[in-house]
Amino acid sequence: MVADASDLSLVRRVQRGERGAYDLLVLKYQHKVVKLVMRYLRNPADAEDVAQEAFVKAYRALPQFRGDSAFYTWLYRIAINTAKNALAARERNPVSYEFDLSGNDESSDMVSRLKDPETPEGLALTEEIRDTVNHAISELPEDLRTAIVLRELEGMSYEEIAASMDCPVGTVRSRIFRAREAIDRRLREVFDGGLGRTEELV
Amino acid sequence: MIQDEVESQLSAMFDGELPVTECELLSRRIDRDEILRARWSRYALIGAAMRSEPVATARSGFARRVSIALRGGETSVRAGRGRRMIFNAAMSASLVAAVAGISISMLRYAANGSGAAGAAHSQLADNDAAPVGHVIPAAVVGAAPAEPVTADAATATATATAAVRHGGASEPVSYVTPASAGNVNTALRTELADFIVAHSEYSTPLMRRNLLSALVTNEDGADSPVPGAAAGAVHATIAASASSR
Repeated sequence: MVADASDLSLVRRVQRGERGAYDLLVLKYQHKVVKLVMRYLRNPADAEDVAQEAFVKAYRALPQFRGDSAFYTWLYRIAINTAKNALAARERNPVSYEFDLSGNDESSDMVSRLKDPETPEGLALTEEIRDTVNHAISELPEDLRTAIVLRELEGMSYEEIAASMDCPVGTVRSRIFRAREAIDRRLREVFDGGLGRTEELV
Repeated sequence: MIQDEVESQLSAMFDGELPVTECELLSRRIDRDEILRARWSRYALIGAAMRSEPVATARSGFARRVSIALRGGETSVRAGRGRRMIFNAAMSASLVAAVAGISISMLRYAANGSGAAGAAHSQLADNDAAPVGHVIPAAVVGAAPAEPVTADAATATATATAAVRHGGASEPVSYVTPASAGNVNTALRTELADFIVAHSEYSTPLMRRNLLSALVTNEDGADSPVPGAAAGAVHATIAASASSR
């Protein structure tokens, strides 16, 4: 795991009372945390609610975060505990929980559908994003593709990638940036092209 | 060109590969720049799509909901703190007003009902602006010690005051000590006022203790020929503690 200087920098800003810096941490880790929570709560909408609670708890506990471990390791533990507590609450009170979930309230149903990636809309969007990203990666030059895969899938640091690809760290940084730019361009083309939904992804 | 460099820095920052000092500056820039912020979000989305993480989260406005939840929490904490301060201030003000009102009405009623009614009333009217807590001048309490008044001292002072007042002469030595002899209602009112002050969380511990002692003393001497003595002691105590602070 990379010792994340940018996370620590953002954390320090939050600890100084600049809440806006926390938004960047949420944007960065939201997908990971939701996936993690989904190991405990199968329903994606519930997983999002619990992940949201975990982020709120982490924010409130942030003044006590000393930076002994990486921010994500710390957040990971909070998310796991929050998910376990939610699961225990669900087992203790299955009737009310089921009632809340299957309530006939139209508005709550709508929110749930929007949040739920397993609805047809959610599934279609997920597929669209994955296809676009994978297609863009397949079109990348070999050196860019290798760099972004080693970074995103293997979680390697720039230094490790540089050693692996036998090139300077600066070149790795440049390759990863260019790979991201190419993928991002494809994403924007697809979403802004006919659907105009790029802003919804933020 | 500069924009390219900033975006390259953004990518490195996203990976935790940018020096801390540069991170600090760039993250502040992201706060102000919606385009950089959107790009940051899409970098997260690209990684999530590659790792098969749930990417629809982005569309549901997850980050926005977290932000709103945090803002709501801060607001409610601030509002709660504000409400508590306003409540405490209102409680203090109403308590002070109640005690002052009861004391003034008691003094006026007592002054009207005593043998020396006219004189006392005029004296009170003359001293209208004087604080209620200073109704016993030092000359009258001459026998009382200068150091802070204890419960016993207060009782002794009250007895002395009563003795001075009922010394046999038709003209009392002091006009400012309320004469409440023979008036049961006044005694009850005094006790009520003392009870409120003694049980108030806004009273000082010393005042509470002295008033409680005075109340107990008054109960013990309920059949005292001078019902106003305990009330006098209470006032003496209030005056003493006010001047000692």
